Amino acid sequence: MRSKELFIKTIQHEETDRVVVDYGSTSVTGIHVLVVEKLRRHYGLEQKSVKVIEPYQMLGEIDDELIEILGVDVVGIGPPNNMFGHPQENWKPFKTFWGQDVLVPQQFNTSSDKEGNLLIHPGGDLSVPPSAKMPVRGYFFDAIERQHPVDESRLNPDDNLEEFGVWTENDYNYWAAQSSAAAKKGRGVVANFGGTAIGDIALVPGLNLNDPKGIRAVADWYMSALMRPDYLHQVFERQTDIALRNLEKAHQATGSNVDVVFICGTDFGTQDSTFCSLETYNELYAPYYKKMNDWIHQHTGWKTFKHSCGAVEPFMQAFIDSGFDIINPLQINAKGMDPIALKEKYGNHLVFWGGGADTQKVLPFGDPGQVRDHVKRQCEVFNKNGGFVFNTVHNIQANVPIENVAAMVEAVREL
Amino acid sequence: MKELLDQISCCIEFGKINNQSPYPPDMKGKDGADELTLKALNEGLNAGDILNMALIKGMEQVGDKFRKNKIFVPQVLMSAKAMGAAMAHLKPFFSSGDVKRKGTCIIGTVQGDLHDIGKNLVAMMVEGNGYEVINLGTDVGADRFLEESEKYPEAVVALSALLTTTMVNMETIVKTLKDKNPGVKVCIGGAPVTQDFCDRISADLYSPDPQGLVEYLNQLHTTNAAN
Repeated sequence: MRSKELFIKTIQHEETDRVVVDYGSTSVTGIHVLVVEKLRRHYGLEQKSVKVIEPYQMLGEIDDELIEILGVDVVGIGPPNNMFGHPQENWKPFKTFWGQDVLVPQQFNTSSDKEGNLLIHPGGDLSVPPSAKMPVRGYFFDAIERQHPVDESRLNPDDNLEEFGVWTENDYNYWAAQSSAAAKKGRGVVANFGGTAIGDIALVPGLNLNDPKGIRAVADWYMSALMRPDYLHQVFERQTDIALRNLEKAHQATGSNVDVVFICGTDFGTQDSTFCSLETYNELYAPYYKKMNDWIHQHTGWKTFKHSCGAVEPFMQAFIDSGFDIINPLQINAKGMDPIALKEKYGNHLVFWGGGADTQKVLPFGDPGQVRDHVKRQCEVFNKNGGFVFNTVHNIQANVPIENVAAMVEAVREL
Repeated sequence: MKELLDQISCCIEFGKINNQSPYPPDMKGKDGADELTLKALNEGLNAGDILNMALIKGMEQVGDKFRKNKIFVPQVLMSAKAMGAAMAHLKPFFSSGDVKRKGTCIIGTVQGDLHDIGKNLVAMMVEGNGYEVINLGTDVGADRFLEESEKYPEAVVALSALLTTTMVNMETIVKTLKDKNPGVKVCIGGAPVTQDFCDRISADLYSPDPQGLVEYLNQLHTTNAAN
């Protein structure tokens, strides 16, 4: 139970005698399935087809063997269906473009376009148009935009809410069972109940929907913040109402088995700026985050998790004011994201979950010695006075040399 | 005349597409880039003057403000829409040769990468600054870039990548293009791309923002014009 104890101390900003570690508890702190296979080989584990637990980004399962070997302190539980609407069950073999044998859910049904790119279909239904594409030379999927022409006079917020619904009894039972099983692992538990992300551009295209309506194209969605702010408010307000009802059910179903709730992965940062102004964040997004975070803090013991890539230093105080407890992934090479300054300014108010290794430069293109030095330096800064969960800056990508991943794991272990 | 050109420029800068567009709120109900460009042409203004004194002027402001983080992606997208509306009226003059553009830029996201928002922002700013843009889309391999570069040997080629797994494909593309045409200028950009990487793969320019590419193209244009 030591992992659990250290994890709880960490998210309560208490100092611990070692760094607490996450590899794979969420869809933004995971490892590409190719690297997972290499990790298994590196540590002498049985060579088997790795499960793709998140098919959009092709993230591999960190199973109990790897959890032990990597010293993982927190595990995740996710929804019954993946982003394409496939139930995460009845795993079948699949060969990837890069020649890897993996396991995918039964409904992971694909077709090809004339260039040979892989097309994936919502709900596994090959009779409806594909919702995402993996290029022949790619390592994961990206959305295919299926935007109907927008008729402003007929825009209905319900069209952008098709994917959000109130939990059924089956959902309730699913989460109760999942959280109970996760709690028995003796580690922290982070739950991604779904439905709480406000305007996440990865979800806007409606990858699990047969025929998404409303505003579904990325550029149109971004412009809607200016052209149709009232429409977005209506979508967010109704979505939040549904989310609050589900959070109440989630609390009844999972209670103290869950420690952290993944609220939102909406990216507000680019490499050197923010996606919108601070005023837009405060006006359009913050009220809904605050409603959800306040409810959680008033009714549960859960901590709330916010993910945003990029140069979001100008938004950090606003994230705190919105009621978030945890920020991820701390993109330390983005503009203004200086680890020391961030820790000093916001470290007492936000748990830093990530930022332990740069995934744009050092991890893929450095050597093991550089990785080791970099990781130790990051941990020294972020773990000071507690409140730090080690993870890389976003998922570990397919091209990262296994020697560098191993160097990172060992460096953290030595701390 | 100047007043009308200034109005068009203002529409580009602030993203006022047409009369129906509700954005920006303080221009609601007024004519946008669409109607005003048509009006300017109907009043006999020269298409080249509209391009140079309205569109380019407005887009320079957009590029400058975006670089200084005074405006953000949504505002730039609105300006792009406004520029597209104006440009639709000018296209016949480009086709007929009545209006000459400053040069040509071939742009695309490299093989294996499907991200196009950033690349399209760059394309739009380059076009709005008076260049013909040949946008090859996403997941573009070396052969496709080469094919287009051979059609337009004077064109500058701009490569975009968002991923560490795909930026490495830039090296092959740069080499393929320069092997065939050593004089071709190749520019690179995208979140993981750096000046070091640019130097290593012998590309001609790395720019962290669209305005950097526009400035580079303008420099080449000035140099070529002087020669």
